[in-house]
Amino acid sequence: MAKKLDMKEVKTALQRKVAQTYEPVKPAVQLGFVHNNVDCIGCRACEIACKDKNGLGPGPRFRRVMYVEGGHYPDVFAYKVNMSCNHCAEPACLPTCPTGAIWKRESDGIVDIDSTLCIGCRKCEAACPYGAPQWDPAEQIVKKCNMCVDEIEAGRKPYCVMACMMRVLDIGPIDKLWDGTHATKAIGPNDKPVRQVKNMANPELTKPSIAFVPHSKGKV
Amino acid sequence: MLRWILVAAVIAASVWAAMSGTGVQTLPQANAGDHAGQHLRAIYSPLHFKPAIASATDAQCLVCHREVLEDKVRAISPAGVKAAESKAWYQQISTYQGEQDTFHRRHLVTPMARQLMNLKCNTCHEGHDPRDEAQGSSATSAPQSDNGFTLRKQVNPETSCLKCHGQMNWPVMIGLTGPWTQVRDTFQNNCLSCHSAIRTNRHQVDYLNAEAIEKAAGVEKTGGDVCYGCHGGRPWYRISYPYARNPWPGMPEGTPEWARLRPRHSEMRFLIQSATSKPAEH
Repeated sequence: MAKKLDMKEVKTALQRKVAQTYEPVKPAVQLGFVHNNVDCIGCRACEIACKDKNGLGPGPRFRRVMYVEGGHYPDVFAYKVNMSCNHCAEPACLPTCPTGAIWKRESDGIVDIDSTLCIGCRKCEAACPYGAPQWDPAEQIVKKCNMCVDEIEAGRKPYCVMACMMRVLDIGPIDKLWDGTHATKAIGPNDKPVRQVKNMANPELTKPSIAFVPHSKGKV
Repeated sequence: MLRWILVAAVIAASVWAAMSGTGVQTLPQANAGDHAGQHLRAIYSPLHFKPAIASATDAQCLVCHREVLEDKVRAISPAGVKAAESKAWYQQISTYQGEQDTFHRRHLVTPMARQLMNLKCNTCHEGHDPRDEAQGSSATSAPQSDNGFTLRKQVNPETSCLKCHGQMNWPVMIGLTGPWTQVRDTFQNNCLSCHSAIRTNRHQVDYLNAEAIEKAAGVEKTGGDVCYGCHGGRPWYRISYPYARNPWPGMPEGTPEWARLRPRHSEMRFLIQSATSKPAEH
């Protein structure tokens, strides 16, 4: 005769299990973006292509080209920093989500979202150190870049990369982008990619999968 | 009617505060029909920049940003997920109470937030650049040296969120042989079994209610959950916050190697000027 379940014990065990600390997914390959801060002309074609692909109205921008300028004549400078979701190795957005709308793919490390599961608590938006999750005020839900995962599945590159006329934005295995061994036009022969540029939040927080070719005034 | 009287009172208080030497300037008179102009004037209000933001009151911020507290979560997601039935792993412990709520409301107006914390808008928000959310993006913006906010963010998570959402730095804690989830039963889930004598000068900052925290930490069985909630239990980030080593009675001579670069007092802007929290000499 089967042992009768002690429901109190089951409940206690369940509570103990669900209260465990979350463990990040370790993907087989981690894809990431690379952006050349120096050669980017700031045309924002990547932003528009992204908004077009994702049907975004005014407000939310998955990708953002930021203009940084300064100095005093004659020592003046200007460069661009271009970021979307950095598909972090250990994303902060993911564990905050109460409905499981955000997950990380084991195959390529892309941090994907199903916004139809979103209840609009905006915890992911606040937790992300890089401003990736975007609030859609019309639908009262959060949306974010998923690296055009449908394009990736079809063997193509994301819309933002395809729209970049200067070829300063690309994707690839992030380890190879960091060590400069991935063939891409975004990294010149004498460029040394870095993980962080000035004023970007500390990469140690979530280990973002992004490489930059920095401007001399943007080096950390 | 009462609501409009309250709004008028808040606006009047803001203007009075601005004109009474707080460093906040009044906005230029706007043309009633010029909505775009009004919006631009609001965006470039001195309140959004240093130094005025440091003395801005919540009431001043909420004149325009009232949705921060008014917006609630959707009862049902577009696909039919019910908010009331969805709980994350960190929302299952004894210290998480109440319905699902928005990020800002959780940190500002829920009962536990009001009991243990005293967060204000400018505790986290130290200014931003309205043009590109990047330092140095215009002639009037924050300089590149400003670390009050980071690229694409209106806060600096490393100096704000990380304080309560970093990893528990258990390897440097004497007596702990593993992560708290593995060893807490050994200590009866009671942090004060050690911390009644070690690092007793803590939480003496104006964004926390130190007395209430100590009281909640002392509750049998759940006290540890209160502490762990902000010291490793909700670790969105993979590093730990380098808490200041405010000297405590009986503090050992000499500084351990891991704490060599730690400050000896909490950030000046948050200090409570009491006998126990006076900055120590470096």
